[in-house]
Amino acid sequence: MMRTETPAPAGTEEERAAGNPRRPDPSAPASRPAATARRRARRETLAGYLFLSPWCVGILLLTLGPMLVSLYLAFTDYNLFDSPRWVGLENFSEMFSDGRWWTSVRVTAVFVLVATPLKLAVALGVAMLLVRPRKGQGFYRSAFYAPSLIGASVSIGIVWRALFQDDAVVDRSLSLFGWDGGGWVGDPDWSIPTLIALSAWQFGAPMVIFLAGLKQVPRELYEAAEVDGAGAWRRFRSITLPMISPVLFFNLLLEIIHSFQIFTSALVIAGPGGRAGGPGDSLLVYTWYLYEQGFSNLRMGYASAMAWMLLAGIAVVTAVLFWSQRRWVHYEEGGR
Amino acid sequence: MSAPTGTVRPARPSRGGANASARRRARSVLWHLGALALLAVVLYPVVWVLGGSLKPGDEIVGSLELLPTDPITDNYERLADGIAGIGIETFFVNSLLVALGSVAGVLISCSLAAYAFARIRFAGRNVLFALMIGTLLLPVHVLLVPQYVLFQKMELVNTYVPLLLGKFLAVDAFFVFLMVQFMRNLPRELDEAARIDGCGHWRIYWTIVLPLCRPALITSAIFSFIWAWNDFLGPLIYLNEPDKYTVSLGLKMFMDQDSLADYGGMIAMSVAALLPVLLFFLAFQRYLVEGAATSGLKG
Amino acid sequence: MSSRRSRVTGLRAMGAGLAALGLLASGCGGGDTGADGKVTIRYSWWGAQDRADLINRTIDLFEKENPGIEVKTDFQEYGDFWTKFNTQAAGGNPPDVFQNSYAFLRKYGRKNLLLDLNAQVKAGNLNLDDFRQGLGRAGEIDGKLLGVPVGANTFTLVYDVKAFEEAGVTPEHGWTWKDFDAAVKKISEPGEEFWGASSNGGVMYLYDLYLRQQDKAFFTEDGLGFTEADLRKWWGDHRAKLDDGLLVPAKQAAQVLPKSEVSAGLSAAEFTWDNFLARYASETDRELALAPIPTMDGERTAQYLSSLMLSASARTEHPEEVAKFIDFMVNDPEVGKIMGYNRGVLPTNAQFEAYEPEGPDAKIAEYEQSVTDYLEPITPHPAGTDTVEAAFLSIYRSMAQGSVSVDEAVSQFFDEAKTALGS
Repeated sequence: MMRTETPAPAGTEEERAAGNPRRPDPSAPASRPAATARRRARRETLAGYLFLSPWCVGILLLTLGPMLVSLYLAFTDYNLFDSPRWVGLENFSEMFSDGRWWTSVRVTAVFVLVATPLKLAVALGVAMLLVRPRKGQGFYRSAFYAPSLIGASVSIGIVWRALFQDDAVVDRSLSLFGWDGGGWVGDPDWSIPTLIALSAWQFGAPMVIFLAGLKQVPRELYEAAEVDGAGAWRRFRSITLPMISPVLFFNLLLEIIHSFQIFTSALVIAGPGGRAGGPGDSLLVYTWYLYEQGFSNLRMGYASAMAWMLLAGIAVVTAVLFWSQRRWVHYEEGGR
Repeated sequence: MSAPTGTVRPARPSRGGANASARRRARSVLWHLGALALLAVVLYPVVWVLGGSLKPGDEIVGSLELLPTDPITDNYERLADGIAGIGIETFFVNSLLVALGSVAGVLISCSLAAYAFARIRFAGRNVLFALMIGTLLLPVHVLLVPQYVLFQKMELVNTYVPLLLGKFLAVDAFFVFLMVQFMRNLPRELDEAARIDGCGHWRIYWTIVLPLCRPALITSAIFSFIWAWNDFLGPLIYLNEPDKYTVSLGLKMFMDQDSLADYGGMIAMSVAALLPVLLFFLAFQRYLVEGAATSGLKG
Repeated sequence: MSSRRSRVTGLRAMGAGLAALGLLASGCGGGDTGADGKVTIRYSWWGAQDRADLINRTIDLFEKENPGIEVKTDFQEYGDFWTKFNTQAAGGNPPDVFQNSYAFLRKYGRKNLLLDLNAQVKAGNLNLDDFRQGLGRAGEIDGKLLGVPVGANTFTLVYDVKAFEEAGVTPEHGWTWKDFDAAVKKISEPGEEFWGASSNGGVMYLYDLYLRQQDKAFFTEDGLGFTEADLRKWWGDHRAKLDDGLLVPAKQAAQVLPKSEVSAGLSAAEFTWDNFLARYASETDRELALAPIPTMDGERTAQYLSSLMLSASARTEHPEEVAKFIDFMVNDPEVGKIMGYNRGVLPTNAQFEAYEPEGPDAKIAEYEQSVTDYLEPITPHPAGTDTVEAAFLSIYRSMAQGSVSVDEAVSQFFDEAKTALGS
């Protein structure tokens, strides 16, 4: 499932032709006696944990402890101020009969399913546009990254409402195409598309990571393919995609995780006043509902249970992704 | 810095002839036009914010105009007087401190952890790696209270330690994972050659892997700077005195449900808050991709 | 089965262990005494920079007169304030003294977070004698003094003077809901982006007054004071007015956020707290004025004073200093002159008389004077009030937008209110 190894380097024809001999595993060379190998393995383990020591301290102190506390709280009734009271699985069973919980699951699922691919597609598209060295590329890169620098603030909320209101720029542009929507703000049917637009607009981080990946694709491959008469789509499918698949995997995984946990942007789109969820609960994303339960309604036990439910959900998706990577992610090296 | 296994970018074969060069120029113009058109769409909201900062406060909300008809600088002048009795530069200095501290912490601790995960075979590695990914999956909000109690017990509330300690302890799995993805693809021959020369892991990490991972490090530096700069929840919970506040908290001092809202000041502050991150990005972006060309991320 | 149970008990033991380690349990309290014998108290409040400027000046004044006490302040916007407060209080590190409102007294009082200030009143550190209209005891719940008002407000109708003049309606004490509806109808013009009134059917405090005029109330001590049928009528009326184009449609209201509908020039009238006039007036060029709530019987508005308060943390190590601080903030005339009506109309006679209101504040003062004789005691606000208030507003908005029917909205609200008030 979650592992760092990937079996069999997939590589490309060129590389195999160039010869990419499998190296013997350095930790178990056949020629050495077993005792040496064991000593070696022990030394490796020691080195591993030495390098990992800051991380170990960090996870034990700052992450694991609080995580276990929240796991415990998931089985309690806890209002932040009185001692938690053990209630077993009550919080979990309550979720299933909680209409707003289901709403939040639905809203979040739609968001993850649409926003993640869209954002990655935009990021990849722009990265491909910017990958070849051009005059002023620093300017272009920074300019395309600028939206992601702003973060999600009250100002962005004001801008977004201004752009998507009736007769504003988005509405006018759309009516050029004969679509007279009358603005998206305040229309519950259009809240999620607005949120998705905001999320896709801030595509800077995956774009930068894609750029780094694309830069690594040797140009000879494209030139060879061009000579063979492969069209742009063929080149993209059979060269670019496999070559950047580790980066794509990373971006996909992280964006999915982030999308599941989307919080601030939903707040920004809904605007102030009222409570979590915005118009007609149409923006009730999961973490926002969790936050409302924990901090406004002081039901931290229920919020913790919700958090662990979310964790379970993302873990399943993550596991599937990790499992699937052996089918489509190509690490050039044997990987370790 | 020259890397041991630099892939030299092949010089573009020159396809001689005036015709071809004209065609190339036309394509280049076309490219620039396309990129600029796309930019116009992407940057429209950013320009709106810039324009908004030059409008009078009561014209900002719901404004249909991109740019002010009659630009004013009042909003910025007001900022210069400080917010709530605190000089505006205080927020920026504080944010800079936190953001640069985060960059240092992330670069050091996450690269160490990533090296272990990517280049050392040790017992329990897969379990720990899965655990690390697992820490990405829990929403932060349920961890706030226990973490707060922890720092409160250590008497570190109202200092920057709670905002920085995690960065120095590689708590941010995103960066560890990012670096792991880069390091895994460095050719293993390098390590082996170094090993034969008698290098230990420390030497390999320091003299081979780190230089080759520069793009990953630069990427991490940029992201950790921006995210620390924009972080709101941490400073909100842990900082108790306005003169310790960061820019992200300062940005929220312009509005409250029962106050006179200063939209102009807020938008101007948003623009001001954007500048340092933009400069940071501008300064480092060129290492980002040039660096990548000479090193490891393959696939 | 047995293994499963042992795993559960294991988790339970582990959690309890971690709790014992102190990741949940509360640590020691806030304030500290410096080496120079100076006592430091932490004071947190919600607001923006305009309030901060005023409060900083009052604190300078306090520190000058009480050289042994240092006050450290800390402020956020309303929502963030409560997130921070809850986290810090859960961590055993709440501020020594903080801004509070009547709606939260039971919520936090019941969890023993608030100091009973009666002991300090007895000890002479906090004087409640000079409060207007019995406000001094407004924060007393079940015999415990959990908060002291720093400002009092009553509900009002903020209206556009010109629009009402043109409609020929003068809103004044004793006017009825029928008069109000007639005015709204006259002002609303089909086809124009201007409506007679804001869509306020989701404002809990307005509905509370409407119910009180019929001898009911929004809350009892521990539950709702009205029936589903009552609410169906109230929201049904609003639905009909929305359909007739008399109230600002939800969409237009959403577009102007964070401005209010009346200050954005969408509507001629909006029900809200009277101190909001200052904010609204700063956001619009139109002339706005305040009117009493319409009545059923031409007499009873059922209005009351509600307050922003200062509360002390039950954990404070310096109750005496905190009491002195609160005493200074509510009784000192200079503080009154500085603060004006930023947190509501000044609570004590000394402060009320010291401050000479101008502009919107003058209108607020005049309005409060005019309704003084009709004020009644406040409706109790049980724990969970804030949750119910937010649900009432949000569900009304869903209904106004048309995503749910009136009947669905009503039953959804009752479901959620039951959960909120039951816990």
